[in-house]
Amino acid sequence: METLISPIILYTFCVLGAAGLSLALPRRGSKLVPIGMILLGSAFAMVAVSFAWRASEPLTGGAGPGLFFYLFAAIALGASIRVITHPRPVYSALYFIMTIIASCGMYVLLGAEFVAFALVIIYAGAILITYLFVIMLATQAPTGTEDDMLDDTDAVAREPVVGSIVGFVLMGLISIMLLGGIETGKPGSIKPGDPGFQPDAVLASLPVKVDKVLRRANLIDADERVLRTEGGGGVFDAAARTITIEHTELGTTRVIGADNWPEELSAGNLDRLGWNLLHDHPMTIEIAGIILLMAMLGATVLARKHVELEDSLKAEQAKRLSGAQPRPSGGGAS
Amino acid sequence: MTPMLTLGVSEYALPASVLAPYLFVSAAMFAIGLIGFLTRKNLIIMFLCTELMFQAAGLALIAFGRHHLGEDGQTFVIFVLCVAAAEAAMALALVVLLFRRRETLSAEAWKELKG
Amino acid sequence: MITHLLSGTFLPSVLASAPGADTAQAASIAHGPKWVLLIPFLALLAACLNGVYAAMGNKTKLPAWTTVALLAVSFFATVAMATGFDGNAYTVKAFDWIQVHGDASSFVANFSFYVDTLTIYWMLFVTGLATLIALYASEYMSHDVGVSYSRFFAGFALFVFSMSCLVMGDNLVMLYLGWEGVGLCSYLLIGYYYKKPAAVAAAKKAFIVNRVGDLGLALGLYLVFVHFGTVEYAALFSDEKLLGYLDAAKVGAFDQIPAIAEWIALLLMVGAFGKSAQFPLYVWLPDAMEGPTPVSALIHAATMVTAGVYLIARFYPVFLISEHALPIVAWIGTITALLAATIGMAQFDIKRIMAYSTVSQLGYMFAGLGVLTPTGGAYHVLTHAFFKALLFLCCGAVMHGFAGQLDLRKLSGLRRVKGWGVVTFGMLVGCLNLAGVPFTAGYFSKDTILAEAFVTPGASLIGWILLLTAGLTAYYTFRVFFRVFMGPTEFHPGDEHHDDHGDDGDDHAHDDHGHGDKGGFHPHAPGWAINAVLATLTIASLAASGLYFVGSGEHHGTETKHYADTMVSSSTASYHSPYSEHAFHAGDHGDSHAADDHADPNAVQAGVGPRGTITEPLLLFGQDPHKVMYYVSGVVGVIGIGLAWCFHLWGRTEAATCRMDSLARLFGPIPRWAENKWYVDEFYNAAIRVPLRIASHLMHWFDKLVIDGIVNLAGMAPRMFGWMVRPSQSGVLQGYAAGMVGGLAMLLVVILLVVRLGGGS
Repeated sequence: METLISPIILYTFCVLGAAGLSLALPRRGSKLVPIGMILLGSAFAMVAVSFAWRASEPLTGGAGPGLFFYLFAAIALGASIRVITHPRPVYSALYFIMTIIASCGMYVLLGAEFVAFALVIIYAGAILITYLFVIMLATQAPTGTEDDMLDDTDAVAREPVVGSIVGFVLMGLISIMLLGGIETGKPGSIKPGDPGFQPDAVLASLPVKVDKVLRRANLIDADERVLRTEGGGGVFDAAARTITIEHTELGTTRVIGADNWPEELSAGNLDRLGWNLLHDHPMTIEIAGIILLMAMLGATVLARKHVELEDSLKAEQAKRLSGAQPRPSGGGAS
Repeated sequence: MTPMLTLGVSEYALPASVLAPYLFVSAAMFAIGLIGFLTRKNLIIMFLCTELMFQAAGLALIAFGRHHLGEDGQTFVIFVLCVAAAEAAMALALVVLLFRRRETLSAEAWKELKG
Repeated sequence: MITHLLSGTFLPSVLASAPGADTAQAASIAHGPKWVLLIPFLALLAACLNGVYAAMGNKTKLPAWTTVALLAVSFFATVAMATGFDGNAYTVKAFDWIQVHGDASSFVANFSFYVDTLTIYWMLFVTGLATLIALYASEYMSHDVGVSYSRFFAGFALFVFSMSCLVMGDNLVMLYLGWEGVGLCSYLLIGYYYKKPAAVAAAKKAFIVNRVGDLGLALGLYLVFVHFGTVEYAALFSDEKLLGYLDAAKVGAFDQIPAIAEWIALLLMVGAFGKSAQFPLYVWLPDAMEGPTPVSALIHAATMVTAGVYLIARFYPVFLISEHALPIVAWIGTITALLAATIGMAQFDIKRIMAYSTVSQLGYMFAGLGVLTPTGGAYHVLTHAFFKALLFLCCGAVMHGFAGQLDLRKLSGLRRVKGWGVVTFGMLVGCLNLAGVPFTAGYFSKDTILAEAFVTPGASLIGWILLLTAGLTAYYTFRVFFRVFMGPTEFHPGDEHHDDHGDDGDDHAHDDHGHGDKGGFHPHAPGWAINAVLATLTIASLAASGLYFVGSGEHHGTETKHYADTMVSSSTASYHSPYSEHAFHAGDHGDSHAADDHADPNAVQAGVGPRGTITEPLLLFGQDPHKVMYYVSGVVGVIGIGLAWCFHLWGRTEAATCRMDSLARLFGPIPRWAENKWYVDEFYNAAIRVPLRIASHLMHWFDKLVIDGIVNLAGMAPRMFGWMVRPSQSGVLQGYAAGMVGGLAMLLVVILLVVRLGGGS
C-alpha cells in the first residue's frame, strides 16, 4: 500500500477531514461552515495530488486515472459533502442527484456504460424523485423568521465532532484495507493483445449480432449466416479470428479469416453485460423481480390510511362488497 | 503525467495506480454517507445517506469488477440497484407512517427502546 | 470362673513391628466371663428404656423403678465380679470396634473391658452409689413426673454407662469414650432445669471447661500411641520401653527418659484437672450445683469428679516416668485444696459450701497421688464418695423440704423439727468424716495423704498447707452443721414453694403439718426413699472406717494393711514410695519387718526414689510421720470444730447472725473477696472471654465486610456491568449505528494487525 499512498498523507487527510467536516456540519448561526469546507477541500486536494504524483513514478506501473476522473471525483465528493451538510432537505436530495451523475461519469470511465445509464434512469429518475415527493409531503412546520424557519431537526447536527471522527477513522481503515487489497489481487498485468484475454469471445453466443455486423460490412450475402452450433451459438473463434459461414440454401460453409476481419466486430459492454446477466444469473433476475413486487405491495399496504368506521357502517360496507360478487351456487365449489 | 482521454477501454486490466483513486473515492463517499447518517436527525436525510453508502459500494464494485475483467461487478451493481429501489420504497413508506404518528421527522422522537 | 490363656493369638501379630511392642513380651491376658458385660450394658438398657418411657408419655414413677432395678442388678454383678476375682487381671470383649491395620503398626481399640483390682474397687462404689442415689432421686424428683422424670433417669443411666466405660475400659479410646460420655451427661443433667438461665449457663460452663481438659487427654492419647505403639492397657503396661523407663525413674535417673514420655503425663494431667475440677479448671463445679441434688451427689461428688483421680491412678507408671508431672499434680492439688477451703468458709449457700469442699477434697486426692501414694489417693476417693454423697443428699433433703431454701442464714435448729432426725444424724456423720475426726473413715484416709507428704522430699510444705486446710475444712463443715441443724429452731422457706403435696403413691411422714403454724409454711419432711438412702449411707460411712483394719497380703510402711492398699497394690497403680519405707524403718518397727523387706521384690534401697536420694528419712517431730499424723491431724480437726462451735453456735439466738459476723468485720474486705470466690470467674471473663468476644466481633466484621463483600461484589458485578453498558441502549437510532461502526472499525483493526501486518494474508 505504501506505493499507492503514503500513510502519513492518509492520516493527515483523516485528521484534516474530520476537523473540516465537524466544522462544516450544520449548526444554528455557525460562521465556520466555509472554513470547514476549505479544510475539507484542501484535504481531498492533498490526496489527489499525492495520487497523481505516485502515478507518475514508474514503480506503480502506469499512468494515473486521468483528468476526467479527478473532475468527476471532485464533483461527486463535493456534492456528497453538501448532501450531509446542507440544512434543507430538498437541497440535500438535489445534491444527491449531482452525486449520482458524477458517479455515472466515473462508471463510464471504467467502461460500465449500461450501469451508468441505468443509474441515472433508476436512481436519479425514480428513487430520488420519490424521495423528493416524500420530502414535500412530510415537511416540518416552519417556526418563524428566515434562519429560524428550519426546525432543529434539520438545522442542528447531532454530535458532529464524534460523528466525524468515527467516520474518518473508519475511512482510514477502509482505505488501508482496500488499497492494500489491490496488490494481492491477481490481474493487473494483462495488456492489450494478451492471448489469454478475449473479450470478444461472447460473440460466439450472439450469432444474430455477428450476422448483422457482417452484413453491414458486406462480408456475407443475404443468404449466408454464421454456422450455428448445437447449443444455438455460432462457430466463432475470437482468438484465431475466424468465423465459419454457411450458406442457408446451398449448405456449404466457408471461413472468414483474420485478414477479412471487420473492424466493427467486437462485443460491447452491453453485449457482455447482457450475456452475463442472462447466462450466469438467471435466477437472480427472478428473485430481483419478486423483491420489487413485494416492495411495491408492501409500500401500498403500509401507506394506506386506516379509517375507523362504526360497526353499522362496517356491516354496510361488507354487504356492499359481497353484494358486488355473483353469489356462488349453494354448496358447490365455484 | 499523461492525461488519458480514453473511453471504453475495457480490454485490459487497470494498473494499481489507476484503480487506487477509484477505491479511495468509494471509501470517502462511504465515510461521508456514514457521517451523514450518524449526525443528521431528519429521517429522510438519514435514508438518503444510506443511499449514498450504496453508491459508494457500487463504485467500488464496478472498479474491482473492471480490475478483474469480468462483467460480474456490473451485474452485481444492477442487482444492488434493484434492492436499493425496493428498500427505498419500503423505507419511505415507513417514514410516512412514522411522520403520521408523531408529526415530526426527527429520529429523536423514537426512543422507546431506551433501556 | 473360666480363664483362657491365649498366648500369641490375643494380640495380632501386626503389632509386632509397632514401636516398642514385641510379641515375645506381649502380655498374654486372660479373657473373662461374658456376664461382666452386664455391668455397663444394663445401665445403657435403662437409659434406652427411659427414652421409650418418655416417648410413650409415661406419667408414673416407672422410669425410676426401672433404673433402680437395673442399676441394682449391675451392682450385684459388680459384687460377683469382685468376689470371683482370683487375682489375675482379664479382659472381656463386647465387640471389635476400631481396628486399623497398617503395614508397620496398627491401631486397635476394641469395645472391651479390663478388670483388675483397681477396676473392681472403683466400680463397687460407682454402681453402689448409683443405685442408692437413683432410689433417692425417685422421691426427690417426684414433683416432675412425666417426660422430665424420664429424661432425668435416662441421663442418669447413661451417665452410669459412660462411667463404666471409663473405669472398666480396656484401652484409652474406651476411657475417652466414657470421659466424653460423662461430660455429656453432666451437661444434660446440670441443665435439667433448662428453663432456668442460670442452669443452662452452668451446664455450658461445665462442658466448656471440661473440654479444655479433654484436649489434653486427647493429645495424651495420641502421644501414647505414637510413642508406645498401642493404646490398650494390657500391651501398654507390659511394654518394654515403659518398663525400662520405670526402672530409670525409680532411681531418679530422668535424663534417660525422652521428653515425649514426660509430655504424655503432662497432657493426661491436664485432662484430669479438667474433669476433677482442679485449679485452674475448677470453676465449673460450684456452678454445677444448679442441677438437681441427686446429680450433684452422684456426679459431682462421688463419681465423675473422681475420673481424673482414676486416670492418674491407672496410668501411674506413665506418670512416674515423668520428672515434673507428679510434683505439679501435688502442688496443684494443694493449691486447689487451700483455695477452695477459703472460699467455702465465706459462702452461705450450703450446697455451694459442699461443692467447694468437694473441690478441696479432690485437691487432697491429687496431692496424695502427687506425693507418691496412689493408695492414699484411692482410699480417700472411696471414703469421700460415701460421706460426700451423704452430705449432698442431706442438703438435698433440706432443700426439698424447705421449698428450695439453702441459705444458712435462714435455717437453724432443724434437728428439732419433726421428721428430720435421720437427716440430722446423717449430716452429723458426714460432717465428722469430712472434718477428719479421729476414727472416722475420712480421718484415716486423710492421714495417709498427710503423712506421705511429710515423708517425701520436697513435699513438707505441701504437708503443712494440707494440714492447715484440714483445719479449715473442719471449721467450715461444722459451721454448716452448727448453723443449720443446731441452735434455735427457725426456718424461712425458699422460692420453690409448691402448694400441691399431691400423693403420688408414696407415703410421706406428714406429721410435720402443724396446722397452727403461724408462718403458714409446712416443711416437707423426707419420705421413706430419702430416709432409707440416707440411713444406708450413714451406716456405710460408719462401716467404712472399718476398712482401715481389713486387708491382706504384704504391706509396706504402715502398721496395718487396709482394703484400699490391697486393691491398689495389685493393679497397675501399685507403687510403694521408698521414702515412706525409709521413714518407716527409722521408726520403731524396722527390726521386726526387716525380713519381710528383703523378700519383697519391690523394695528398693531405702531413700532412693524419683525425687532424689536421701540418706536420712524425713520425719515429723522426730518420729515416723505415719504414726505422728494420727495425733496431729486429730488435734487439728478438733481445733477446727471447736472454733466453729465458738463462732457459730455458742450464744447464737437467731438464724441470721452469729459471733463470726463481728469478727469478720475485723478482716476488712477479705471475707467479701472470699465470698466472691476471689474473683477467679471475673478474671477468666476478662482474660479469656472478653478477648474472644472482641476477636469474634472482629471476625464477624471481617466476614461481613470482606467475605460477604466479595460475594456481594460478585453479585454486584453483573449489575455494575449492566449499569455501565445500559447507556448504550439509548433508543437513539444513530447511537446503535455508531456502535455498529465502532465494531466494524475494531474488526478491521484486528484483521489489519493480524492478517496484513502480521505476515501477509
